[in-house]
Amino acid sequence: MGNFKNLLFASALAVILPLQAVDASEIRVGFTADALTLDPANHRNRETETIIRNLYDGILTRDADMKIVPEIAESFTQTSPTTFEFVIRKGIKFHDGSDLTAEDVKFTLDRLTVEGAMGDGQTSPRKSLLGPLKSTAVEGNKVIVTLSEPWPILPAMLPVQEVVSKAFVEKVGTAGLATQVNGNGPFKLTEWRKGDSIIMERFDGYYGGATDIPPVGKACVDRVIFKVIPETASRVAALLSGDVDIINELPPFSIAQVKSNPNTEVMTVNGTRSFFIALNNKGKVFGDIKVRQAVAYALDKKLIIDRILGGNAVSIDGILSPAAFGASKLPAHDYDPQKAKALLAEAGYPDGIDVVIDTEGAYKDTVQAIASVLAKSGIRAKVEVSESAILKAKWDPKDENPKGDMYFTSWGNGSLDPYDIFLPTHRSGDRGNSAHYANPELDKLLDQASSELDTAKRAGLYNKAEAIINADLPYVYLWVPQDIYGVSKRVKGWKPSADSRINLHDACVE
Amino acid sequence: MGRFLERLLQLIPVLLGVSLIVFLMLALTPGDPVEIMIGDQNMTAEQEALLRSDLGLDRPLPERFLNFLGNAVQGDFGTSYFHRRPVSEVISERLPATIELSLVAMLIALATAIPLGVAAAIHKNTIIDRIATVGSLFGVSLPGFWFGILLLMLFAVHLRLLPVSGRIGFESEVPSVTGFLLIDTLLQGRFSAFLDALKHILLPAITLGLPMTAILTRVTRTAMLEVMRQDYVAFAEAKGISRRRILFRHALKNALIPTVSVAAIETGSLLGGNMIVETVFGWPGLGRLVVESIFVRNYPLVQAAVLLYAVTYVLMNFVADILYTVLNPRVKL
Repeated sequence: MGNFKNLLFASALAVILPLQAVDASEIRVGFTADALTLDPANHRNRETETIIRNLYDGILTRDADMKIVPEIAESFTQTSPTTFEFVIRKGIKFHDGSDLTAEDVKFTLDRLTVEGAMGDGQTSPRKSLLGPLKSTAVEGNKVIVTLSEPWPILPAMLPVQEVVSKAFVEKVGTAGLATQVNGNGPFKLTEWRKGDSIIMERFDGYYGGATDIPPVGKACVDRVIFKVIPETASRVAALLSGDVDIINELPPFSIAQVKSNPNTEVMTVNGTRSFFIALNNKGKVFGDIKVRQAVAYALDKKLIIDRILGGNAVSIDGILSPAAFGASKLPAHDYDPQKAKALLAEAGYPDGIDVVIDTEGAYKDTVQAIASVLAKSGIRAKVEVSESAILKAKWDPKDENPKGDMYFTSWGNGSLDPYDIFLPTHRSGDRGNSAHYANPELDKLLDQASSELDTAKRAGLYNKAEAIINADLPYVYLWVPQDIYGVSKRVKGWKPSADSRINLHDACVE
Repeated sequence: MGRFLERLLQLIPVLLGVSLIVFLMLALTPGDPVEIMIGDQNMTAEQEALLRSDLGLDRPLPERFLNFLGNAVQGDFGTSYFHRRPVSEVISERLPATIELSLVAMLIALATAIPLGVAAAIHKNTIIDRIATVGSLFGVSLPGFWFGILLLMLFAVHLRLLPVSGRIGFESEVPSVTGFLLIDTLLQGRFSAFLDALKHILLPAITLGLPMTAILTRVTRTAMLEVMRQDYVAFAEAKGISRRRILFRHALKNALIPTVSVAAIETGSLLGGNMIVETVFGWPGLGRLVVESIFVRNYPLVQAAVLLYAVTYVLMNFVADILYTVLNPRVKL
């Protein structure tokens, strides 16, 4: 009987206790994917990065305008074409209370860039993100980074590398770091329920974060939960029912639903992913610049942006997002079906052309709309839907004899530096050059820009390069969509960020 | 016992065949895990080659297959390309959630289908029968993802009775003993946590169990009708035994033979259904992990998971055979 009483008492407590726990302020994010690992050096995945970035800080970070500012570093300078100096801020603590030193920063960079240094003889899959980083050295509270060749975009790549504790990594090893966190970010790890959620609580010893991004100080909420909800409709349902406070990747067709709910709102931010249609420049039809121009004039971009994307995209006339370094105002190919028809006739196709346009399932609606607009100018495009891995293989830049006609695709540019988008998509034979475009003059310009240290000159080189592709049209450049988030009205102080990070340091709840 | 061993030995060629087919299908499907891993970044050819050799993808296909087999025999299924941890570890973290969901789905299916099937048979050609047969036709035909989202919209968004996704709420956290939350919560006397876990599992389990419910209803109904036509039932009626006793003591026992064996075989189809249901309900199980892994060409993980599915499927068929002999002594294994 006594046992039974105890059981009753325990059950009663169990009913009461959780209610108290709810009083803690908490933000829940309905997120598309789980983290693959919690080791900042052992992944190449944007969603993982978004989650980890709340647990760990970087040497540098970006403010709301995507300007690069010091975070764990107090300041940084480029002392020669191939050396950078980072002064490490004092008084930063790891979650276990130990001090963060320049040695930890050096250890972090070495672990990312030295072959076999990640642990267990492995090399970090993020090595290539730090390009020609050759060596690091510590002088007092400074870390000196030496490059093997001039590489001006090092600062742009540092916000996505997080600083780890040398002592902790040596203690738990690479295997341990996959699931354990001794970070320096605003939140510390409470529990990772794999595939389900990642739970974090406020770190009270936080140094406050980047001084250039107010408010500086501890995180506002007690607890943060990233709940993994991969299915779009379910994610929207979770927001509407109040199960979560923020969701990412809100589809345009759910905007009205979220807006009409009294407790939720829609927030957008200009994204960093450029959408375009690759034209097979090695093919018979699109090898002719007149046909490529015809496609550009035949496409009513404004109509598609307004009707299909709900107005949530910015039109582009080159590869770069308007927010990117080196972007400039380019001549637009405004919708002109007569001109498109005339160009096709000049190219020897007075009756128009029949082509196939490849796309992934996620963009089927958009591409069907594009196809129906193109048809008005005699470009009869048949939409073929495939899985992305299959399309990448079909449009492999190394393929000497590519079979496709048109390919609706995109390239992300989280660093907002042309180096990461312009080169791979446009340099001859480079890994994202699905259009199979080859222009030695452009290659030369791009290579020059990669090592030009003078910022203004470098921007000038990219301006020139964009003018070339705007005239030559290896691709039809479409738009940069906005990232759309659904947000509960009880969340204050949080705004979506162009680099798709969800930083909850400043977010509060009512 | 000899028969039993023989059945187990039959597993070996099945598994070998499945391994080879899955390996070839993955290898021949266009798509490159290294390309996917690098994503939209600038990268030199040397760096790409380094990554490729790190994953062992620079080796010829036969060598890769033999390596896989050699290691698999020793229980090593390799490292997940994307999680960068042993595949066996990643899978075993997700497995309990999937097993728990499947078991609850099966329980719901059996608990609904048997009474429904019996009722339909007893009241043949009445409104009850019509509802059961038409309902089960719907159950088989409704796509799981659609039905799941409908349930979500009704019970989670509009009525706010049940949660949208996940296995258990943050507050109801219990230390893992068996990995099955419904059991762990009870073991620790956390009744409110048990209720929370139950609320979370209800919608996904109903969605997952729906096709099975539908099939079992029809099987039970047919079997029951069949049995009711047997001489021994007529004889029992002639003896004046009460109708209730005839139905439940004599008829149902025999009618359940096909139901139970079909249920065991249908467990295999639950594995397929899991992939969709787990995605819709954010259920942290193996099905969703496999779907995600197929899209990014995470070869080692997909291979190991498909092997696991194959073993489960074969074993469940085996269980079906055994159940059949136990329930029906006239049949020998």
